[in-house]
Amino acid sequence: MTGGVDALIRNARWEITRLHRSRRVWLLLIPVVAGPIGSGIADVYLRVPSSGTAEVLGLLITAGLAALVVLDLVALAVGEDLALRTHYLTFTLPQPRASALAGRLGVVIGATLLVYVAGAIAVAGLANTLVSTSPTAAAPILVPGHLEVGLVGLLVFLGGITAAAGVVTRSASQALVAGVLAGVVAAGIGSTFLIEGRLTWLFPLALATAGLIGLVVCLIQYGRIDV
Amino acid sequence: MSSDVLTVDSVWKRYGDHDALRDVRFSLRSGEAVGYLGPNGAGKTTTLKLLAGLSRPTRGSVRVQGLDPVEDRAAALRKVGALVETPGVPPYLTGADLLGYVADVRGIPSGERPTAVRRGAEAMNVVDHLGRPFGSLSTGLARRMLLGATLVGDPEVLLLEEPTLGLDPAARHDLRDRLRTLSRQGLTLLLSTHLVEDVQEVCGRVLFLRNGTLVGDEPVDLERDSGTGGSRRVLRLRFGPDVTAESVAGAAGPGFEVTLDGARQATVRFSGGDAEQAALLAAVVRAGLPLLSAAAPEGDLVRRYMERVGREEAT
Repeated sequence: MTGGVDALIRNARWEITRLHRSRRVWLLLIPVVAGPIGSGIADVYLRVPSSGTAEVLGLLITAGLAALVVLDLVALAVGEDLALRTHYLTFTLPQPRASALAGRLGVVIGATLLVYVAGAIAVAGLANTLVSTSPTAAAPILVPGHLEVGLVGLLVFLGGITAAAGVVTRSASQALVAGVLAGVVAAGIGSTFLIEGRLTWLFPLALATAGLIGLVVCLIQYGRIDV
Repeated sequence: MSSDVLTVDSVWKRYGDHDALRDVRFSLRSGEAVGYLGPNGAGKTTTLKLLAGLSRPTRGSVRVQGLDPVEDRAAALRKVGALVETPGVPPYLTGADLLGYVADVRGIPSGERPTAVRRGAEAMNVVDHLGRPFGSLSTGLARRMLLGATLVGDPEVLLLEEPTLGLDPAARHDLRDRLRTLSRQGLTLLLSTHLVEDVQEVCGRVLFLRNGTLVGDEPVDLERDSGTGGSRRVLRLRFGPDVTAESVAGAAGPGFEVTLDGARQATVRFSGGDAEQAALLAAVVRAGLPLLSAAAPEGDLVRRYMERVGREEAT
């Protein structure tokens, strides 16, 4: 009998196989390579007044790239099988569906967060190396350390909303669109709070909470899909 | 303790305002091979979805190995292989990937997985294609690979829908042969199809479904005798050289009604079951008659299909 934990582990392996076969695994290099490179170029060629501001800029670039990756990978992890009707086969296997999907989502969301963190660490190192802080420089608009953690909340939010949309629409492409729209809304609200000086740790926490709720809804609904 | 492996008990399934199944009830004992015949939209796929845990009945209950296939999915479907409709597989995945995944989920230890994958592929003659991505397989090969996936882990119950769809004649023959062999080895099989020949060659019992209602549940080789209201078996014997009705009747003995359909073919009607049929065949061979084959008449099941389901809907 396949228990929940077994199903989770087996499907995590399955997702790794799929990432490898589809070559989507290369997408995971984008935040950790392109993020720091883009950030480094900006550090060198733009007149960034301080290493803190350079780090904020680099984090936004890296997180933006990681956001695109998490949207794509989550949309496909949930919606690809439903769209192709692969679930007509996989749903007949002796395992809890929700645990199976949790294993797959754990891999794609976990891997994206890991490469984002790795990219963020590289960005911080480059900013401190390439940019010297002018004595007259204004403080960065956000505390880099806070932003780095807060952007994790944004990525979890995007993953959760995309996953929930994938189950509802049963389509990877529509889930992707829903995730992009959610990202635009989150960015808009975050910018508004920033301009109004009301942006606090509560905002990324709320985003992460919404993302986790989206993931739970996704897993529950996935287990209940009546084919 | 009941030996019923699959049980469909007073099941209704409603989609919107349409009843796909209406009070359907049947069961399959361990080792039975049962055909499920009916026209498009009769409810065959719906029934298989319920048994495979893909869907829940609106009313009534479905049991696989005595368990609810949705609530007790892992235990109920542990030894069940199912192919319902035509699942798509992402084009970048290989047959080995898919069969390996099925073996993994079925709890086959990693050391034994390659053997299990190979056995599943061998059953469908697709070993040479295991390394190819699904996107490069023809429709028939992909179908055979999917069938191979359902056989991974040596399931004790098979739920198959249109298994020969898209297969070339040789592959169709091999599959029927394989299913017959598995059935003889104790596999329980529910075979949903439009192809009467599939049922004729593989199954011992047939269910007829029309408009969501079960309208027939009878042996495949049964012929109803409208004169007596009883039931009899009909067997068509084919011979090599010419034979006479007298020689066949003499070999068969009393109780067997023989009519000759041409010089090399005879139809034998008799009351009884497998034992009587085996005795008849043994007697014919003992008598030195050059028997080539024995099967239920092809037309019989088609005729019964027409009677129960309706000519305009027959396919």
